[in-house]
Amino acid sequence: MLRKSTHPSRRALLKMSAGAALATPFLSIRAAAQTVNLSMLAWYGHAEPDVVGEFEELHNVKFTPKYYTGGDNMLGLIAQSPPGTYDVILSDAEYVQQLNAAGYIEELDPNDYAFDDFFPEFQQFPGHWQDGKLFSVITRFGFLGISYNAGVLSEADAASYNIFSDSRLTGKLGHFDWHLPNLGQVSLLNGNADPFNLSDAAWQQVQDSTMALRGQVGGFFDYGGTFSSLKNGQMTAFAGIGDWITGVLEKNGANVRTAIPEEGGLQWTESFSIGKGSRNQEMARKWIQYITSPEGQAKSADMAAYPAMIPNKKGWVALNEANPGEAKRQNMVLGQNNAIDLIRDGRIKYRQLPGQQSLEDWNDFWSDYKGA
Amino acid sequence: MNTRPSLFSLTFSLPLLIWQLAFFLFPLAFLVALSFWTVRNFQMQPDFDTVNWIKIYSRGVFWDAYFRTLLMASASAVLISLLAFPASYAISFKLRDSVKRWMIFILIIPFFTSYLVRVYSLQVFLSDAGILNAFLGYLGLGPYPMLNNTFGTLAGYATLCLPLVILLQVFSLNFVNRDLVEAAHNMRCGRLQTVLEVIIPSAKAGLVIAALFAFILSFGDFVSPLYLGGGNPPTLSIMITDITKSGQQWPRAAVVALTMIATLLTVAFAAIKFAYREAGK
Amino acid sequence: MTGNRNPLIDGLLKLHIALCLIFIFAPIAGSFVFSLNSDRFPSLPLGSFSTEWYRLIWEDPLVWAGFFNTLLVGACVAAIATLLGFGGAYTDFRYKFFGKTAYLALALLPPTIPVVIMGLAMLAFLSRVSLSGNVVSVIIAHGVMCSPFAMAIIRLRLSQMDPDLEAAAWNLGGNEWVTMRHVIIPFTKPAIYAALFITMAVSFDEFAVAWFVSGLNETLPVKVLGFLQGQVSPRINAIGSLAFVSSISFIVIAQLLMRNPDTKTP
Repeated sequence: MLRKSTHPSRRALLKMSAGAALATPFLSIRAAAQTVNLSMLAWYGHAEPDVVGEFEELHNVKFTPKYYTGGDNMLGLIAQSPPGTYDVILSDAEYVQQLNAAGYIEELDPNDYAFDDFFPEFQQFPGHWQDGKLFSVITRFGFLGISYNAGVLSEADAASYNIFSDSRLTGKLGHFDWHLPNLGQVSLLNGNADPFNLSDAAWQQVQDSTMALRGQVGGFFDYGGTFSSLKNGQMTAFAGIGDWITGVLEKNGANVRTAIPEEGGLQWTESFSIGKGSRNQEMARKWIQYITSPEGQAKSADMAAYPAMIPNKKGWVALNEANPGEAKRQNMVLGQNNAIDLIRDGRIKYRQLPGQQSLEDWNDFWSDYKGA
Repeated sequence: MNTRPSLFSLTFSLPLLIWQLAFFLFPLAFLVALSFWTVRNFQMQPDFDTVNWIKIYSRGVFWDAYFRTLLMASASAVLISLLAFPASYAISFKLRDSVKRWMIFILIIPFFTSYLVRVYSLQVFLSDAGILNAFLGYLGLGPYPMLNNTFGTLAGYATLCLPLVILLQVFSLNFVNRDLVEAAHNMRCGRLQTVLEVIIPSAKAGLVIAALFAFILSFGDFVSPLYLGGGNPPTLSIMITDITKSGQQWPRAAVVALTMIATLLTVAFAAIKFAYREAGK
Repeated sequence: MTGNRNPLIDGLLKLHIALCLIFIFAPIAGSFVFSLNSDRFPSLPLGSFSTEWYRLIWEDPLVWAGFFNTLLVGACVAAIATLLGFGGAYTDFRYKFFGKTAYLALALLPPTIPVVIMGLAMLAFLSRVSLSGNVVSVIIAHGVMCSPFAMAIIRLRLSQMDPDLEAAAWNLGGNEWVTMRHVIIPFTKPAIYAALFITMAVSFDEFAVAWFVSGLNETLPVKVLGFLQGQVSPRINAIGSLAFVSSISFIVIAQLLMRNPDTKTP
């Protein structure tokens, strides 16, 4: 079996290289030249065939993705690129605020999008609207809690952020390397009802509690590093991430979970905007309509790169029909205690920019923490 | 030698100058200017304000990272040079010419395999449950922590620099005058003495340049400190990325970058001066 | 060289070469194994045998486009950087002039700039002169970054040349151009080849600056960065292994081609 697949016959090899090698890529490149090219600036995976394939065929569009690996690189890239380079831009809510403040995205018409189908919580999402004007349409969200290796920690262990100081996690606690989610979680642990809107005294307490964890920390990881260190057991628990990491790992057979502890969890969001000066605004609008429609939402929830919850109630219905297993795994089943109830119970707070301190203060402290 | 530039001299000196002036001087000037810009509403604005310099230079965490990076890059240059030298010496002096040439080609190959890919693969070797620890466990040793610490970072630097350092060392050792070595032997110089007193001095330029490259590459690298060092503790290159995370603070990142450039340039000139002093004769 | 041979020491030295090669090639071999492993996240024990990751890159037109961009960029950069580097190295070797330190500083500065910030600065410049977002932008940026490598390698070779050699050629009646052609270039030829290879390799591997300046016309290393940082897909191993195999064949061919003229010339 193995022998056969490693040594294909000469004829098969010739056929493979002559046929597939030459035809497939060139044909697709040529085909792309006749269609509308829509550029998308996004996190990895949003312009892959499993998400955009159907839309591409439907509207004779070809997506050209530009994947970024950090919101700040993304902003730097846009700031220095000619206007109109990127047609649709996917970003987290915190960066929508920054994109909008810097004037890099177009105003949108709320009537173009099916907000009525959305759960009420997502119809006027903060940060996406500015002075009653819409700039970005939410497409996915997820919760951040305690992500842990279920072979080492139990669900009861992960019921409180206090586990971060547990001796079993010494040198085994990983941080997703971004100050907002990590400090937000410590803020929740400290009992701040509004974890990002802190008085100076409360902010000082958050800094002290965070600094007390420094000895536990095994490393600060980016997206890829987070994946591999949870998978290979190098880290036992992670702060600052959620099912968007552990869900992928679970699907690949790793024994990892994310729990929302009793102190509460944070919520991240991803939304689409149209780049300022885009020459394909019409098609960009169609794309956002598609990905926020029930069918698009069902695809988005189960995106191959990383899963997420979806804000469209009709999307939940579509997902439960198309993929009940995933709907159940992500707790998106209507008529029972589900993800939205978690929000309504007040267990989930939005991840956002600091309210009373500047972003720099938070980041500076994070640098001090890392260097300590 | 020549007082008036001839057509000949200009043909060779100008292309590089023109290319760098056209395509590099502006980015460099932009970098300098950027360090005086300010950030308002998450947008960089042209300005002339020394606030970024004051802010960065007044932070202890910056200087900690600075000296840590300096130390790690120096350690990397020294250790890799020491590790490479016996191999380069053996390749240059102990192998037949045809084998030697193949060896040089073999050493060029790693450059064509992405450094990112190699580092990512190295993770699987170095992790607690990884290949090396599994092997050591078989011998009844370990496990040793090799990932997410300074060891991991240095192993990554070695992956990046070792082939280049060996190559540069071999290039310079190949042109050590064999008669000189022979003469040393005839005067009953011991092997080690010959290496230390004849071979190393006459190959000095290449050895220093090789170490310099290791230093430069390690000092600025952010792949190894991030993926193998776990960002723990952070180096300057990681700090640059961190700084940009406070809402487009590229101007402050530029301050760190310029400090790095100044450091590297100082080191490079000192090394080059040292390398080519009384060289060639 | 016949003076003192000690088989034990020679043996140890050769063992050391072998160990260095193992250290250098183990990650590459590992990556090859992971590329044929069904697990998305490689760890011990390995999963089952699979060619899935090769199929995925094979069928991805953007990987192919990136591949062709990379080849084009690499070839242009190698030629440009080596030409520029040769000129710079010869200038440094031969001439003393006012402002030489500044000339050298400008020539050697690029590798000292942290790539992330270099990327932003390059993009800021190139977009203002309407050269951003395509293959040419990557060639320009890599030309800047690679020429110091070429210059250092060729300069090193020149420092091994007997300075009297050039003067002797002039005395024999050769003008500067003839001397360049018949003395300097043949003498530096190995370094020129090395510079071509290494600058091409540096360009093949550079992703940070290319991410910024390439816009939507990405090169393969930028794709690899996306696969790694965004998804940790073993596709990076498949791409790495293919790059490895093709560079080996490329180098073996070059080696065979270069051997013939060498043996013919006396």
